[in-house]
Amino acid sequence: MANMNLFEQLVYYYQQNGAYVLSQFMRHFLVSIYGVIFAAIIGIPIGIFIAHHTKLSSVVIAIANVIQTVPSLAMLSIIMIGLGLGVNTVIVTVFLYALLPIIKNTYTGMLNVSDDILDSGKGMGMTRWQILRMVELPLSLSVIMAGLRNALVLAIGITAIGTFVGAGGLGDIIIRGTNATNGGAIILAGALPTALMAIISDTVLAWIEKRADPTQK
Amino acid sequence: MKKFKKWLLGLLMTIVSGTLLAGCGFPGLSGTSSGTVRIAAQNTTEQQIMAYVIQDMIQHYSNMNTTIINNLGSGTVSFNALKNDQADISSIRFTGTDYSTIMGKKVDRSKIKETDQDVYKAFNDDYDMTYFPTYGFADTYAFMVTKQTAKKYHLKTVSDMKKVAPKLAVGLDQTWLERKGDGYTAFQKLYGYKFGKTYPMQIGLVYDALESGKMDAILGYSTDGRIGSYDLTLLKDDKNFFPPYNASAVANNKALKEHPKLKSILNRLNGKISLKTMQNLNYQVDNNLVEPETVAKQFLEKHNYFEGSDK
Repeated sequence: MANMNLFEQLVYYYQQNGAYVLSQFMRHFLVSIYGVIFAAIIGIPIGIFIAHHTKLSSVVIAIANVIQTVPSLAMLSIIMIGLGLGVNTVIVTVFLYALLPIIKNTYTGMLNVSDDILDSGKGMGMTRWQILRMVELPLSLSVIMAGLRNALVLAIGITAIGTFVGAGGLGDIIIRGTNATNGGAIILAGALPTALMAIISDTVLAWIEKRADPTQK
Repeated sequence: MKKFKKWLLGLLMTIVSGTLLAGCGFPGLSGTSSGTVRIAAQNTTEQQIMAYVIQDMIQHYSNMNTTIINNLGSGTVSFNALKNDQADISSIRFTGTDYSTIMGKKVDRSKIKETDQDVYKAFNDDYDMTYFPTYGFADTYAFMVTKQTAKKYHLKTVSDMKKVAPKLAVGLDQTWLERKGDGYTAFQKLYGYKFGKTYPMQIGLVYDALESGKMDAILGYSTDGRIGSYDLTLLKDDKNFFPPYNASAVANNKALKEHPKLKSILNRLNGKISLKTMQNLNYQVDNNLVEPETVAKQFLEKHNYFEGSDK
């Protein structure tokens, strides 16, 4: 092995362990996605609610902010006390961290809908539900998508740390690299797909975000 | 635009309903549904290889769901995971270590057999866990130096280090330093000296630290494949400080009851892995850039999953 340079080692590593890397890649991606989806299910309604009840907004966003300030390794450990080792702990951690960008963006998006448009909706005799569904949500969808995009990129980073509670994922490969002789190639073999995953999901969501903006049409 | 929105909504709905329908688990993620066999592995190469060997064996002989809880920090962590029902199987446990750290007793080297029996019994009675018969290899801590250092200071045994100990920089397993029973404090008491400088580090890193000259001596595992490739000298433990560490799988009795097949699957591995084999498997992982998962699979395929060795 010693006679190969880093790049050759990397290629050799992928040839030997391709199936393993792929399975860890999928696992990593799924953990991130599940956390973000749960955060979206909870966070988007909360964002809509506080946009309509602005007095509550400062409290809710402050809470989400506080969650964000806890270091991710500490958060993992705290949740591990309750949920034990394994993948569930990581999903909950991702969920908590994804809340802030999603709530904040939903809130901002909803507030940015101009009052004139809301008034004309009201003037046309739309119910509150209709205004939400046909005016507010479509106009703020691109901002909400931007929040999801932030959340997912954040989630992929946090999932990498999940290896410390035994959740698996690409973090496992990185940690293994730090323990092996000449582990440089292994560290890269784990770090590159992680970065790639973040870049790809960011690009895809950016595309969706653009398509979702009705003013771009 | 309208079509796109519908498409987006449809996509979201599918994902959400898919997740909710799955109920107790997340589709595609092993280890989240109940009834999954959870295998705990520590952060050493050996532990991870055996964890994948067990996983592959279970998948070969049954359709149980399995997951590996990887990278646990020490034997105590993985023991607690089993005790608190956060894991079902510990991939490798060492009788000697468990005797001194979990049960808090002092190991008598001349009574290895009795020690093993004591551990088996205590784990079954006190902790409701089954200690399987050994895989066939034993691991122990050993002090190692390079050939040059051994020559320079005339080192053959651990006692020989006494004269030069204040000068030595020693790389040690971080868990060993704090360990009761067979840890550093007990070591100082028995051998009667201290090292000049100790560097606690990840066990996988000590061999390279020694090879590159950053350390004068290290405490490593006797099963590591790098002992051979770096041509290291093992110092004889002349005062018999390190207890025998026969390697076995340990499983929670609750899990064995829940999955009756588990016992016969794990029993297939009894005595199948010799010290040489383990060193070789470790070597492939530590030196040849092969993942423990791949090594385990190749090893089992070579031996046909120990087909026909069940009694």
